[in-house]
Amino acid sequence: MSDELGVVKILDGNTFVVSDDRGDVEATPSSPTGLFALDTRFLSRWVLTIDGQRLNSLSVDDLNYFETRFFLVPGEAAYYVDAKVSVIRERSIVGSFAETLTVLNHAEVPVDLEIRIEAGSDFADLFEIKDEAIDKKGDYYAEVQDGHLRMGYQRGTFRRETVVSTTEPATVEVGGLTFTVHIPANDKWTAEIHVKSLAVGPGGRDLRMGLRAGGARGRDQMQRELEEWIESAPSLNCESEPLQTAYRRSLVDLAALRYSPIALPGQYLPAAGLPWFMTMFGRDSVFTSLQTLPFVPSLSATTLRILAALQGTRIDDFRDEDPGRILHEFRYGETAAFEDQPHSPYFGTVDATPLFVILLDEYERWSGDTALVHELEKETRAALNWMYEYADLAGNGYLWYERRNLKNGLENQCWKDSWDSLSYSDGRLPGYPRATCESQGYMYDAKVRAARLARLVWNDPAFADRLEAEAAALKERFNRDFWVEEGEYYALGIDPDGGQYDVLTSNIGHLLWSGIVDAARAPKIAEHLVGPRLYSGWGVRTMAVGEARYNPIGYHVGTIWPFDNSFIAWGLRRYGFVEESAMVADGMIDAAEFFQGRLPEAFGGYDRELTKYPVQYPTACSPQAWSTGTPMLLLRTMLGLEPHEGHLAVEPALPEDMGRIELLDIPGRWGRVDAFARGRIEVRKKVFSTAELT
Amino acid sequence: MAGNATLAFFEGLDRRRHEPLLEKIKGTVRFDLQHRGQTEHWLVAIDRGDLAVSREEQDADSVVATDPELFEQLANGTENGVAAGLRGALTIVGSLHLYLMLERLFPSPPDSQGPRRRIRREGRQ
Repeated sequence: MSDELGVVKILDGNTFVVSDDRGDVEATPSSPTGLFALDTRFLSRWVLTIDGQRLNSLSVDDLNYFETRFFLVPGEAAYYVDAKVSVIRERSIVGSFAETLTVLNHAEVPVDLEIRIEAGSDFADLFEIKDEAIDKKGDYYAEVQDGHLRMGYQRGTFRRETVVSTTEPATVEVGGLTFTVHIPANDKWTAEIHVKSLAVGPGGRDLRMGLRAGGARGRDQMQRELEEWIESAPSLNCESEPLQTAYRRSLVDLAALRYSPIALPGQYLPAAGLPWFMTMFGRDSVFTSLQTLPFVPSLSATTLRILAALQGTRIDDFRDEDPGRILHEFRYGETAAFEDQPHSPYFGTVDATPLFVILLDEYERWSGDTALVHELEKETRAALNWMYEYADLAGNGYLWYERRNLKNGLENQCWKDSWDSLSYSDGRLPGYPRATCESQGYMYDAKVRAARLARLVWNDPAFADRLEAEAAALKERFNRDFWVEEGEYYALGIDPDGGQYDVLTSNIGHLLWSGIVDAARAPKIAEHLVGPRLYSGWGVRTMAVGEARYNPIGYHVGTIWPFDNSFIAWGLRRYGFVEESAMVADGMIDAAEFFQGRLPEAFGGYDRELTKYPVQYPTACSPQAWSTGTPMLLLRTMLGLEPHEGHLAVEPALPEDMGRIELLDIPGRWGRVDAFARGRIEVRKKVFSTAELT
Repeated sequence: MAGNATLAFFEGLDRRRHEPLLEKIKGTVRFDLQHRGQTEHWLVAIDRGDLAVSREEQDADSVVATDPELFEQLANGTENGVAAGLRGALTIVGSLHLYLMLERLFPSPPDSQGPRRRIRREGRQ
């Protein structure tokens, strides 16, 4: 897949290749290019030359998320290419990385060529690349053995190896493979090159070798699975081309982002994003599952099972683990292995735990799968207990966080997890512990939903009563403590002594989704969300224009996050703001068109009037799971899909310019049903200019 | 050969008879603690949370091999069982899932304090 200029990516699970548009890799310590597996870079150099010349890309075919094809000619880019020789470089990741080189001789005479692939690896851990600090404590080695090039890195018992081999005769040396070939007139030469990425254990065996694994999948099986995946999802017919494109793109990208943990072969949950986050994340997996539940419900079931299986059981300050807490992030690289980083797994998230409970209830409402609710009763109770027993750090009934790992635990454990995402309106950063508003909303919703499950499935009405009483008390308290009188919105967070982070942020949209907002205050919240300070014309900004830390390209302080907007649209609909919800959906689908249907992690918060197109945030992941899930959740909110007493209610609120929509075969406890809608909501396209505000 | 924490860990499992955290799994995990050519075996049989520990050397669904020193540290909480696996200091053959589930029963690191609650809470609201 290629979305940025000159960057081509293919992947299978947590093995992926990021290269330039020639297929070459020339990684620098800080660039996430190369062949990666197990959060480790196995190839940092992979360069093809013919007679010492680099190649030039004519075109790139994205065949699939796991295979791509480059058409190349030798020599530098030129306006007019008249090559006697051309190259087809096909690559795939089907378990491991493989490349097929085909060199075509277009001349009437034979040619003799020296075809070379330079290969090298720095075995960098993804976190070393992220932090731009590769400081290896172990030793590198490289050797040629039985015609294979073996490159390795060893630190104590930790060993990772890259093994390169080919089907054709070649001179194999440390540093690369050279083919000396004679190609007759109008003929071709082909070689396959295989690259294995190994985690070598004692005795030289791969650590994964003896594991009961799902068995390697072949290319045809992967292709078949992808087709089945697309076929089993509801089909969309609509007049809006951007929406149609975004839906199709999302389905395929979601298939690509499916990730099967080594311990549970064959079970898939969504990984968070390429290239930085191809692993299990509590929050991202749950949000993506919630977004995609009406379309691919199987992701929700496995996400719940896997997160439950890895729920915290201990008090571990380094990993910020407590009993009942749902994990944040799981990694397999050197920094996790040697505890330079705490991801084995790391639990520093305040919201994954309530979100887990919310997903279980939402999943049951759609699927009717009470067996899973039974199966996860203990884990759900433990999650609820965690909020009370371990996360109420100020002892006042709110959900707080403060990292105990002071070295590299997360300072912010909410979805806006960058260091400067929380502030007061004057820009000062708050102290600890911190309680953000949307986390209180999630906790409220988790209690309300768990009460429903306790009554319906666990046969524990007393527990349900208690949860409902706690939720009601929380709602009342929250509306008192978090309400910013002057601005008439909810504070981003509060201090233990009650001081408010009085900034206006997108977080208030999640509050609508959670149901914690007082009905009387909801109109004001809706007004803010689509008002000039938050709404850019493309979407709702993470932070409002006018706040001290506002920056249209600040990661969590001004950019627009598609996933955030999808939950805001859901929240607006929940409180009956159909026009505002349609407006948010409409702006986001308009934006998707500029990204060929693939919404990025975040884009700039500039006014739509000003830039005319959405400006992508520089280092954002793409595809990113919860951006991928965004068009699906927007479809749900526009169609007004809600499970209701065993059937699916459809109550469309579709922007006018979407035209007609039919979504066929929506799966759920009702079997499969169709939804139809016609665009009737006139969306205010006029966008305010923030220049008028400041 | 087995250290105090190791003995306490396995005896604890055996005494517990039932562990709610293991109710979703069924299978056997054998720990092979290897030291100077000698191997000590501990077999943990799990049946939907019911536990039985023995010293038998028989086939198991998951075989975990390591040295007694590291295992002692896992059993006293000073080392982490997942990080050790990633390092290759401990190897697993068979079901990784069974090992990961059992790994969750290793104790907390002794120096971990847990959440620092600022204000004492008075009763549940």
